[in-house]
Amino acid sequence: MAATMFSSSLVDTADHHPELRSSVAGVAGKFGRKYFQDVVKRDAKPTELWEALAESGFLGVHIPTEYGGGGGGMGDYNIVIEETAAQGCPVLSLVIGSITAPIITHHGSEDMKDKWLPGIAAGNLRMSFAITEPDAGTNTHRITTTAKPNGDGWLLSGTKYYTSGVDEADSILVVARSGEADASGRHQLSLFIVAADAPGITCQDIPCVVQAAEKQFTVFFDDVELGPEALIGVEGNGLRQVFAGLNPERIAAAAINNGIARYGLETASQYAQDRVVWNNPIGAHQGVAHPLAAAYIGVQQARLMNARAAELYDAGSEEAGEVANMAKFAAADSSLVALDQSIQTLGGNGLALEYGLADLWFVARLHKTAPVSREMILNFVAQHSLGLPKSY
Amino acid sequence: MKVVVCVKQIPDPADPGALDPETRTLKRDVKLILDESDSYGVEMALQLVDAAGEGEVILVSMAPNGERSGLATALAMGAASAILISDPELVGSDALTTAKLLATAVKDQGADLIIAGSESSDGYTGVVPEQIAGVLDLPSVTAAKSIEVDGSSIKVQRQTDGGYDDVTCPLPAVVSVTAGVVEPRYPSFKGIMAAKNKPVEEKSAADLGFDASQVGWAGAGQEIIEVTDAPKRQAGEVIEDDGEAFTKIVAYLENMKVI
Ligand SMILES: Cc1cc2nc3c(=O)[nH]c(=O)nc-3n(C[C@H](O)[C@H](O)[C@H](O)COP(=O)(O)OP(=O)(O)OC[C@H]3O[C@@H](n4cnc5c(N)ncnc54)[C@H](O)[C@@H]3O)c2cc1C
Repeated sequence: MAATMFSSSLVDTADHHPELRSSVAGVAGKFGRKYFQDVVKRDAKPTELWEALAESGFLGVHIPTEYGGGGGGMGDYNIVIEETAAQGCPVLSLVIGSITAPIITHHGSEDMKDKWLPGIAAGNLRMSFAITEPDAGTNTHRITTTAKPNGDGWLLSGTKYYTSGVDEADSILVVARSGEADASGRHQLSLFIVAADAPGITCQDIPCVVQAAEKQFTVFFDDVELGPEALIGVEGNGLRQVFAGLNPERIAAAAINNGIARYGLETASQYAQDRVVWNNPIGAHQGVAHPLAAAYIGVQQARLMNARAAELYDAGSEEAGEVANMAKFAAADSSLVALDQSIQTLGGNGLALEYGLADLWFVARLHKTAPVSREMILNFVAQHSLGLPKSY
Repeated sequence: MKVVVCVKQIPDPADPGALDPETRTLKRDVKLILDESDSYGVEMALQLVDAAGEGEVILVSMAPNGERSGLATALAMGAASAILISDPELVGSDALTTAKLLATAVKDQGADLIIAGSESSDGYTGVVPEQIAGVLDLPSVTAAKSIEVDGSSIKVQRQTDGGYDDVTCPLPAVVSVTAGVVEPRYPSFKGIMAAKNKPVEEKSAADLGFDASQVGWAGAGQEIIEVTDAPKRQAGEVIEDDGEAFTKIVAYLENMKVI
């Protein structure tokens, strides 16, 4: 495997990180970009890669050892995701594991942890995450999917959309309204784990341009019966509890983009060394070299910020939220600059599937919109970091 | 089954190495990594211990500046512990001194089998395993592509130009392993975390009973007196195709005895 040109001493925050990086890169590198493209083209799943990551314990690095995980944190999971993507394999399901596992670890019952965490770590239990709704996008307070009391449990009804990976999932972690509205008219939210094949659930594929193995679905819940064991943590505490998963999700999304950016810049730099059009390699022209160099700096900044976000999250810092948001913002923007310049460097080949760059575009572009949009991050920073008035 | 594996930690071959102009030896004061050609021996040793159902793999390495990064990799793969020979006095040691030091460190381990790589990827002397066997007065098998334990002896397939020899050899023995013959495992996350707490015992030349005059530059029986660049590749022969070029190419290939 070719040595990476990206220095990681800048970003690594623990002494075992270099070893973890090279091991993940080795495992994912046995598959690589061609394998991943082929999976996407065949409309298949990267099962062999998933199993190899599971076997090395990489899917559960952030899960406690008593539940079958590695006992590390988001600092480690960031590396797993980034190195996998840097081998040309942006596995979006890894992002989902960054939401579900921490929520269950922090707020789930003992039974729930025993039931789900070892399976998530071993890669043989999959869980989707459903928060977004057609009529309540970014504004989570407007969620209308509702859990109505029913005996000692609930009946769940409503519609979620853009729920990724339901076709592969054993269960769905659903954010729903339950209980009475408070004085301001806001409903309390609660979190439930719902079997993906429960009666009353139907799914409809949303065709997307994202060239990834995961599909997106509209999910209809029609009086789906939930027992008391389906509730995560405390009823009505859902909004607070879900943040245990949303900050890691931002770190995980950023990790995908940082990995994609590395893949792009490494491919482009090699190409710029080899390709001679006039008398010198094209990389000798500053018109080619400087934008690549500037893109590299941008990507290193995003990686550094993401590593710090993960470190702060793992340390339980209050500021992890702000940093995770900014890291996702930085990674989305810098990866698109890096990938675009990489495509440009390859000339016509930049658009050819053979080089595997252009078909990464929408995976990277996705994270400008999801899991939280660029605008909402700017709102957050404007309001919370700069103390500016809220506009909405 | 106790297997000792001699592993070298070397400058990353992906980074252009540099020679010290005075000593004409490789600069080793950079971060070192596990020599890839030793990862095969580590893998084989781990597989042998697995197959035996008991025992452990112990690493022995000689490296400057207390360097442990490469050992961390092999410990993360599954080795149980390591002995690190590191001492400023050792700078400049030649192959024989290295073999003596490694052999001395190995001697007290009660190993059933000692494995080493055929040659390191930075020094390429390719003699250390046989010298260790010589110092310890143990049988030596070279260029192993597979090792199978059979009671108190081993069956080794020994790679040759034409295929392989079947060799049987009593234990304990020293076996050097050819690169590329097994697929070294990538360390798992648990392995990486466990490696942090595995014992690495550091020994100086004096700990092993050597004084300064026996090791390093002082004890070296060899000296590098000159280093020259490999000759530049010659321009190839150009054959103009006048319709008959293939006969010249066939003749050329026949001459090289490839067809
Ligand atoms: C491929 C893919 C996978 C996804 N996977 C999942 C999943 O697994 N689970 C899940 O729950 N969701 C998932 N999503 C949904 C995703 O998280 C949302 O699309 C995203 O959060 C934006 O929400 P929305 O689409 O409702 O946009 P809207 O909220 O409708 O926003 C539309 C636009 O208006 C802007 N906007 C809205 N309000 C403001 C404001 N106050 N100030 C400034 N600008 C504003 C937004 O930034 C955005 O640009 C996925 C989406 C995609 C495309």
